[in-house]
Amino acid sequence: MLMRETITQAIYSLAVNKLRSWLTIMGVAVGVFSIIAVMTALDAIDKSVESGLTSLGANTFQIQKNPATTFGSGHSRNLYANRKDITWQQALLFKKEMASQARTIGFIITSMANQAKYANLTTNPDVTITGGDENFSASSGFTVLYGRNLSETDIRSARNSIVLGYEVATTLFPSGENPQNKSIKVNGEVYTIAGVFNKKGAAFGQSQDNFVLIPITRYLNHINEKSSLSITVEAFSRKDYPLAIDRAIGAMRLARGLTIKDPNDFEIRTNESLIDSFRDIQRAISTGAFIISFMALLTAGVGIMNIMLVSVTERTREIGIRKSVGAPRATILRQFLFESLFLSFAGGLIGMTAGIFIGNVVALQFNLPLIFPWVWVIVSMIVCSGIGMIFGLFPAWKAANLNPVEALRPK
Amino acid sequence: MAVLSNNNNNNSAVKQNHLVITMQSLCKFYEMGDQVVRALDSINLDFGLNDYTAIMGPSGSGKSTLMNIIGCLDTPTSGIYELNGQNVAEMDDDELARIRNKEIGFVFQTFNLLPRLNCLRNVELPLIYAGVAPEEREERAAAALVKVGLGDRITHKPSELSGGQIQRVAIARALINRPSIILADEPTGNLDTATSREIMNIFGALSEAGNTIILITHEEDIASYTHRVIRLRDGKIESDTTQ
Repeated sequence: MLMRETITQAIYSLAVNKLRSWLTIMGVAVGVFSIIAVMTALDAIDKSVESGLTSLGANTFQIQKNPATTFGSGHSRNLYANRKDITWQQALLFKKEMASQARTIGFIITSMANQAKYANLTTNPDVTITGGDENFSASSGFTVLYGRNLSETDIRSARNSIVLGYEVATTLFPSGENPQNKSIKVNGEVYTIAGVFNKKGAAFGQSQDNFVLIPITRYLNHINEKSSLSITVEAFSRKDYPLAIDRAIGAMRLARGLTIKDPNDFEIRTNESLIDSFRDIQRAISTGAFIISFMALLTAGVGIMNIMLVSVTERTREIGIRKSVGAPRATILRQFLFESLFLSFAGGLIGMTAGIFIGNVVALQFNLPLIFPWVWVIVSMIVCSGIGMIFGLFPAWKAANLNPVEALRPK
Repeated sequence: MAVLSNNNNNNSAVKQNHLVITMQSLCKFYEMGDQVVRALDSINLDFGLNDYTAIMGPSGSGKSTLMNIIGCLDTPTSGIYELNGQNVAEMDDDELARIRNKEIGFVFQTFNLLPRLNCLRNVELPLIYAGVAPEEREERAAAALVKVGLGDRITHKPSELSGGQIQRVAIARALINRPSIILADEPTGNLDTATSREIMNIFGALSEAGNTIILITHEEDIASYTHRVIRLRDGKIESDTTQ
């Protein structure tokens, strides 16, 4: 029989049981939706990763106690948990060793969840206090909007100077005036504003401007929360960068008092390593999404098979009539197979459209670019046709091999 | 072709010598547990071109089994069944489907139309499987419906027709592919007397037009319309009379 007749008949048969066909289609749609939505969102995030994660300045790397993200459990997590903080003394020792090998060496220590106050205006209690030095702005990619950066004197004398992140400045000084030399309180301590940094924007929906910068010396003396320091090193040039990392590892091992047998008990963070650790997360999410979607699609496939078996049973007489007027097995097989293919393809298309739409809506929430995930569209269409084929084959085979005498026998 | 029968060319001198169906020692056995049921036991039968035959017999006499085998819906356990010189007994499912499509027109007691399709679509069904182009299909199906007096019911669905009209649609479908034989299984079993007569008149006209018709029935008055009556009992031929 001609392909056109097969297609028309299959669609016609499905249209007779509209609700049943729709429910089956929705089963497939959910599976495809979940995979496409997650993959679209991930792809969108991926596109912004390069810009979002290159928060460090050019030719700059960081030394920290722990990696940016940790995965897995047990041994590796304990390994990081037992690491000792990088102390001020170790940092100074490191600086002494490395001074001639790098353009700048800066120190950063942070305390999360603080509140800043000016007159009757208060920020949310989510401001980060960063203890840093005059090199912080350059190595972290901040430029000064108003006033000045921290100076060497601020650091040396542990002055109560403070530079505000853009978000903190706009909260406390909503009129947009230059707040230099005004006094604000952070966690009850009084600081004099030296300047305001330019806006850097959000990375992954999180503001990078909701912080204040104070001299690291002041931080160490006045803030009780002692976390591990991180050291920012700027190499002389791109060419010098790998060498600078090697030397920094040597200097840090010395500062941490490691023997030749000990492994490094600190991490080097580069823009690349940040991107790598993001990729780990991405891989974990996509694997999870893939497995869940696969299960959903498998369930949908079983649904298709179930419906097709019911359909074959219901239409036994029709099959008998078609056979009695000369329908060969292959034609009957094709007709039923096409019905299941149609169900899974329709589900696939609906799920795909919804998935791309929702995935992009999610991406928009995080100010990420719009994405059309070609690869996943092709993959899910292949998977859908596979499901339609595999789960439709048995019912179709059953229909094609019905004995016409049995099929025509009045019930 | 000489075997094409639903044309009006009634050249009986040529046709009467031509056998459409030959059966020799045809047997059909079923195994029911450890018992063997001999539904058909050594049947020898010939059907010539333009024969108009009734096959009669009580329930369980084997007439349905014989009809299934003649109609190529089933194959015999042993023996020879030749339809237009082709040995059907040895054919596989797809070859049987092709034979049913080309050589046999079925008319069933329960009509067996597809309820969702209109008359035209029902009648053109055999042509779809014969690979006839859509335009020709519709043309021929419409012509067949006109022939059985339903030219004004082409777009009606079976549910919108009376029993007699439905059976006429089924007859149109049986005729559409110009089969060698028309095989009717109790075609009036679900119809009242007046409608039965109407249907039997159509069969009579078809016979006069040169078609070969085999009719299964258990009603004597229906059998009386035919020219030959074969009676079966316990899977064997009890009598074979020409009237």
